[in-house]
Amino acid sequence: MNSMTTRAERKQKIVLQSITFVILGVAFILMWNVLIKTRVVSMQAVSAAPLPNAMPTNLFSDLYLVLLMSFLAILFGIACAFYLQEWLPETNWVRRLIEGLVAILTGIPSLLFGILAIGIFFSYAGTLKMIGGSPVPQNAEAIPVQHDTTLFYAEALTFILMVMPVTIKTTQGALHSIATPIREAAYVLGASKWQVLKRQVMPLAFTRILAGGCRAMSRAFAAAALLIGIYTWHYTTESGKMPGRFMLFLSGALFLSVLSSTLIETHRSSGRNTVNLPR
Amino acid sequence: MNLQTTPMNHSIETENLSLWYGDFQALIDVNVKIPDGQITSLIGPSGCGKTTLLRCFNRVNERYGNVTTEGKIEILGKNIYDPDVSLPELRKAVGMVFQRPNPLPISVYENILFGLRIHSPMRSLTRTESDQIVEEALTSVFLWEDLKDKLETRATSLQLEQQQKLCIARLLPLKPKIILMDEPCSALDAKGTLAVEELMEILAGTYTFLIVTHNMAQARRVSEECIFMFLGELIEHRETQALFEDPKHERTADYVQMRYG
Repeated sequence: MNSMTTRAERKQKIVLQSITFVILGVAFILMWNVLIKTRVVSMQAVSAAPLPNAMPTNLFSDLYLVLLMSFLAILFGIACAFYLQEWLPETNWVRRLIEGLVAILTGIPSLLFGILAIGIFFSYAGTLKMIGGSPVPQNAEAIPVQHDTTLFYAEALTFILMVMPVTIKTTQGALHSIATPIREAAYVLGASKWQVLKRQVMPLAFTRILAGGCRAMSRAFAAAALLIGIYTWHYTTESGKMPGRFMLFLSGALFLSVLSSTLIETHRSSGRNTVNLPR
Repeated sequence: MNLQTTPMNHSIETENLSLWYGDFQALIDVNVKIPDGQITSLIGPSGCGKTTLLRCFNRVNERYGNVTTEGKIEILGKNIYDPDVSLPELRKAVGMVFQRPNPLPISVYENILFGLRIHSPMRSLTRTESDQIVEEALTSVFLWEDLKDKLETRATSLQLEQQQKLCIARLLPLKPKIILMDEPCSALDAKGTLAVEELMEILAGTYTFLIVTHNMAQARRVSEECIFMFLGELIEHRETQALFEDPKHERTADYVQMRYG
């Protein structure tokens, strides 16, 4: 416990933590609900709907894809951000180009990415021509059987496009927030660049980088939830029941966004990153 | 520059040192000899290159990029721009204290050991050794009594005066020869200033101090020699008392008698 913590701060922290726990609890129940009901609801909804065979019907193949891709995209995004922020000077044209692109990509609403995925990637894959092609047929037999790998790549690319810019941006922010005096203190004691990064910058920036990763994934989950929701409801005659995969992604998005803000808040109240605020 | 003192060793010597930030020349042909084991202060109006000169001596200037240096700097008899000079070794010998105390946001104990840990292989320090090193370092800056029960608190939560002393203490385990100080007391109150000045006077002799200050009373109080700089040029370098009481140059006279600046 930090000796500087005042009573008011502690009280604030307790309130904040309890709110967080309530929200996390609700998110957990939602998730649990989905896992329990998946067999009943999801399978019915999916089998009843004239969904193309292309849609991976297995809930866990979705999860697998999302987790794997996010993991790779987040790792790669963090590496990119370290390189941009710590090695390239601000005036470097590569850095300016990438930062510009990142700013554009993070500004695009996540739903548009989903539509982009359906529109562009699928049409390049030669199936489901939604842009400029024939409208989606209303019965399942008309849709050609999609080979699973194409779809996998389409989904994966969309995820990377969605997750990476957010990760790069938040990681750069986290690195930037480590005050220069801290770095200089380490440099003048003779630390090399790598030692400064490893011993001071990374431990201090870790929580914020992690929070950034969660935010990026939450964005991807939300888009997936919306798309699945719209798509499934459109084709499901069965009313009143929410499809399992929609619930899964929605609760996943909720869970991750709450987690990311909790991480940021605990990071802030721990006061690790402050340098002698004037008293 | 008329140093009519008895011949002595110089820990820092520069020859025609010039430095540019981009197109702007911040130091113009600086020739200076800093005597061993004494406190030397650098004074002058803001933007005259005091801090730049100070930062040349442990080569932290280079971090900003776009910096060109010409001339020669010899520290402890070695040209620090020689290709075989290792920056970690240089910075081990030349410590630096900043304007605002900047302890690392880790415990007091780890702050003091940070320098040693980055210069020695992993896990080469035993617990007894490190305990002893921490005690010695804190004792020599008179913090041991205050902090011996608080070694695990985070250094950033200490009082400012204690933080600044800690910043000096964490240099000591590396056994530096020279300690550079960039306005070390400007963030402290009168009591803290006095404490740090006393500490410097006690440590001088073991270490060579070079201190940048805007406080002329402080320069007079602590330093034996004083350097006046103006717009990147070294105007006058003499014993402190002589410089303040009988300045040779008009600019120095104007400044030390506070007609401007």
